[in-house]
Amino acid sequence: MSALLEVRDFHVSYGAIKALQGFSLSLEEREIVSVIGSNGAGKSTFMNAVMGMVARDRGEAFLDGRKLPARSFQVVRSGLSLAPEGRKIFAPLTVLENLQIGAFSRAKQSGARADMEWVFYLFPRLKERVRQLAGTLSGGEQQMLAIGRALMARPRVLLLDEPSLGLAPIVIRDIFNELRRVNEEGVSILLVEQNARQALLLSHRTYVLQTGRLLKEGPSKTLLTDPEIKSAYLGKGQAP
Amino acid sequence: MGNAAQFTEFSTLFQQVVNGLSLGSVYALIAVGYSLVYSILSFSNFAHGGFLVVGGYICYGLFTGFELNVFSRHLLTVPAGSVWLAGLGALGGAGIVAVLTERLAYKPIRERTSMTLYLLIASMGVSIIIENIFVIAVGGRFRALPQSMFPSGLYNLGWGVTASSSDVLSLTCAVLFLGGLQFFLTQTRWGLAIRAAACDLRTAGLMGVNVSLLIAIVFFAAGLLAAVGGVFLSYRYTLYPQMGGITTKAFVAAVIGGLGSLPGAIVGSLILGLAEMLTTGYVSSQMRDLVVYSLLVLMLLVKPAGFFGKPVSDKI
Ligand SMILES: Nc1ncnc2c1ncn2[C@@H]1O[C@H](COP(=O)(O)OP(=O)(O)OP(=O)(O)O)[C@@H](O)[C@H]1O
Ligand SMILES: [Mg+2]
Repeated sequence: MSALLEVRDFHVSYGAIKALQGFSLSLEEREIVSVIGSNGAGKSTFMNAVMGMVARDRGEAFLDGRKLPARSFQVVRSGLSLAPEGRKIFAPLTVLENLQIGAFSRAKQSGARADMEWVFYLFPRLKERVRQLAGTLSGGEQQMLAIGRALMARPRVLLLDEPSLGLAPIVIRDIFNELRRVNEEGVSILLVEQNARQALLLSHRTYVLQTGRLLKEGPSKTLLTDPEIKSAYLGKGQAP
Repeated sequence: MGNAAQFTEFSTLFQQVVNGLSLGSVYALIAVGYSLVYSILSFSNFAHGGFLVVGGYICYGLFTGFELNVFSRHLLTVPAGSVWLAGLGALGGAGIVAVLTERLAYKPIRERTSMTLYLLIASMGVSIIIENIFVIAVGGRFRALPQSMFPSGLYNLGWGVTASSSDVLSLTCAVLFLGGLQFFLTQTRWGLAIRAAACDLRTAGLMGVNVSLLIAIVFFAAGLLAAVGGVFLSYRYTLYPQMGGITTKAFVAAVIGGLGSLPGAIVGSLILGLAEMLTTGYVSSQMRDLVVYSLLVLMLLVKPAGFFGKPVSDKI
């Protein structure tokens, strides 16, 4: 029982709205875990609570057995980084500056150079556009930048909130292939998706979140064929 | 005859341009800090004028050996007459007051609500508090920094145009400090973080930036720059507790240039300085403010976002 990331009993509310009502999750070293659920299930709330972006009423998180700090910048320093929902790239800054700010928390900036090469290797389209303003990138490129920026912190766990949002199927496939490569390099991934099929195909294990509570949990392969999941989340998705 | 008349006309114009740039550079120092705070927290910090008053009085106090108050003369014995000590004390002191203002008045509000209107109202309160602290502590009378503080003299720029050494000094300082700010923002790690935070403060936190510290740095810089302006204003004009009122001009300059944009704040300030001095030279000095505010209204009608601003709906 020594998971890399262990989240226990998260409760988050916005005023009277209870967005998370006791959600727990664990992630092993080198594992890809996904959380699926429909609109408003509380997926982003969960990610933001892990990152210290929203306060939680109850619950604790541990990284490598050590309690995760409360404030975002400390969470990033301890080894988690998030590519947030809606990408949230810094539009008036260049691609290069977006990647540089991703490495802000690192003690040694020297390692950042090597990682930037790595990001360019994963997403060559970013390399061709280093001097371009991030706001002028296409949606897919912006998502690549958001992921690259999160990788620049050299996280032990990369958190991704709906990386497929608003992208064409081909672009989604490209990005998910690169995520598999990132994982092969030793980065554990926690992925949140509405696109359940893609998430189930990429991840090792999946948690299904429904209105702030765990509905189901298991190996992604099993859930892909689960009749309940199929009818509720995989209805009219495109073929893999 | 025609030549002589043209010559005088030209030198009057040029003289007013020199004066306008000098005044504009002081506005720029004030407007840039104000704009910097706006770009991060999206509210007009009306206490900004207070920072420049703080800077002015600290400079006066340190330079004259605390002639401000009978009591303090016995409490504090500072070697009077050091321009460097007075200047550094003023800049650092105003920076610290700015940071404290943020910590004590704005931070508790920011943590409770995301409505920037409350910050705006709090800043008006702080502005009045700072003003009154000085009225009570040192009295409301007008003072001026001793003319011995900076070297005096006139530089002849040719064609009968002159610039006083304080003009030259304030322009040089403005260029140095604004250049320093530009360097800080574009060449350093924290500068990059501030530019990112100006775009999206929350997301900057996700990058591992300590947002509280970032905001403190921004307020310190804003207070420091305001104090530079404050020192020059109290040297060339007068020092009094309500001196911060001149910040309205810097607000106008920032709005004309585009709120939240630093190049905008500088361009707006120079335009405003020039407009004021040209009006003084060619129309009358009483028309100055009329021209300034007409420019503001015109700008808001024609190009509400200012020259460099992003089109945001709610401003000020
Ligand atoms: N800042 C907020 N203030 C109030 N309520 C919020 C806030 N953020 C989220 N909520 C509410 O909390 C619930 C969970 O929202 P959340 O964004 O976590 O869902 P989600 O699973 O990420 O949905 P989506 O797939 O649409 O992104 C929703 O009912 C939402 O309306
Ligand atoms: Mg979401």
